[in-house]
Amino acid sequence: MRPEVLIDEAASRVEGKFLHRGSRKFARWVVASSLMSDVLTTDEEDILLLSNLNTAQVVRTADMISANAAMVACGKPVPQDTLDLAREPDITLVCAEYPIFETCFHLAPLFNTAKK
Amino acid sequence: MLKLHGDETPSTIKEVILRLKVKDATKKHIFTARKTDSLRHIQNLMRDNGISAVPILEDDVLVGMISVNDIISALDKGYTDDPAEKHMTKSLIILEDEMPLSYAIPFFDKYSYRRFPVVDKDRRLAGILSSRDILLALLHELNNEILELEKMINTEPADQMDRIKREFIVTKFDFENAGRASYELKKTLKDINAPRQAVRKAAVAAYELEINIAIHSDGGVMAFEIDDKKIVITARDKGPGIEDIALALQPGYSTASDWIRSMGFGAGMGLANTKKVSDDFAIESNPKTGSFIQSTIYLHTAEEQAAEGE
Ligand SMILES: Nc1ncnc2c1ncn2[C@@H]1O[C@H](COP(=O)(O)OP(=O)(O)OP(=O)(O)O)[C@@H](O)[C@H]1O
Ligand SMILES: [Mg+2]
Repeated sequence: MRPEVLIDEAASRVEGKFLHRGSRKFARWVVASSLMSDVLTTDEEDILLLSNLNTAQVVRTADMISANAAMVACGKPVPQDTLDLAREPDITLVCAEYPIFETCFHLAPLFNTAKK
Repeated sequence: MLKLHGDETPSTIKEVILRLKVKDATKKHIFTARKTDSLRHIQNLMRDNGISAVPILEDDVLVGMISVNDIISALDKGYTDDPAEKHMTKSLIILEDEMPLSYAIPFFDKYSYRRFPVVDKDRRLAGILSSRDILLALLHELNNEILELEKMINTEPADQMDRIKREFIVTKFDFENAGRASYELKKTLKDINAPRQAVRKAAVAAYELEINIAIHSDGGVMAFEIDDKKIVITARDKGPGIEDIALALQPGYSTASDWIRSMGFGAGMGLANTKKVSDDFAIESNPKTGSFIQSTIYLHTAEEQAAEGE
């Protein structure tokens, strides 16, 4: 299994703000896409889902793959219904200041990107 | 009062209004009087039957209307023995029974009348249309619409205790609620302590199929059946069906529009994903009956089952 990376640490690299803190404090992998079916193909575990979207469906998708956290890029404001949905499945929600590419650039060194 | 103009009317109601004709809402069993009947006779007719307007006929042909206001004037001025013909409203605004209901609704705004006589194509009186009749017809039609959806839901009783069955209606373009059925499935599976891998596969399959109903179909139903061996996920919709199933199953093929893509869907991966995570996968589609897609996921892998059997 891939090593754990603290979500606090990941957020601090991208000027991330916590909108909801779930009980799972770490992630082992980042899946970055703004098309939800791309995200749903992954079989990684303990994911941080990074996307451009701030809709309810991002949280729904994160829940389906049992992701530990969802990160919204570009400092996009997150609507209340998205936030509300994150509580029950206990998903950490972070808003990153940087666009997706820069966010990936800053997060990549934290995660072990060697092939599984 | 109902308005058809502007965007205030919800789309389902609009659809229903467009489908209905004036005759579908018209009250057909009504009280009438002859033009030679006295206003007193009409007053009694109104009082005994709780009505507020009476069409006046001459040889079955509509020639006027007497309203409660006409009767009040008659009582006030003392001419209740006069025949109806002398005081009835003759310049009538008449609806035809074959007109679309959408055409009739603005009449209630345009004219000060609260009801309109309706005639058939031979100009014979067919009934009266009031705003209340329109509301009743709409409620009736909306009710049918819901029954239609409910019919798609299986009503078999849950015969076995250790079998869980649940069904959810999925509405077209309802992005707020899309995914709720899959969320409930996942929660149920966790509650019964289903193996983690099976939960994840079932959640992915259910979610892909649920979103497809919401974005590609006219609406449908998600059904889940769980027993001690497997999870069966069934997605059924009202159409319009999938034209080329082989093509739709290809990774990357999508007919989603740009705005759907801006919502995060339309990678063309959904059906391929569903098939990949399924142990059994069935798909049927037909432009008349809609699409039927079923994904079966075993709770335990073949090796686990073999180990259990020993
Ligand atoms: N229930 C359905 N009714 C009608 N057409 C459908 C239905 N489900 C899928 N399709 C058709 O099959 C195509 C492929 O579906 P698929 O789920 O694989 O991809 P998608 O929904 O377009 O994108 P994605 O699932 O990646 O977000 C769709 O674009 C659509 O044309
Ligand atoms: Mg899809």
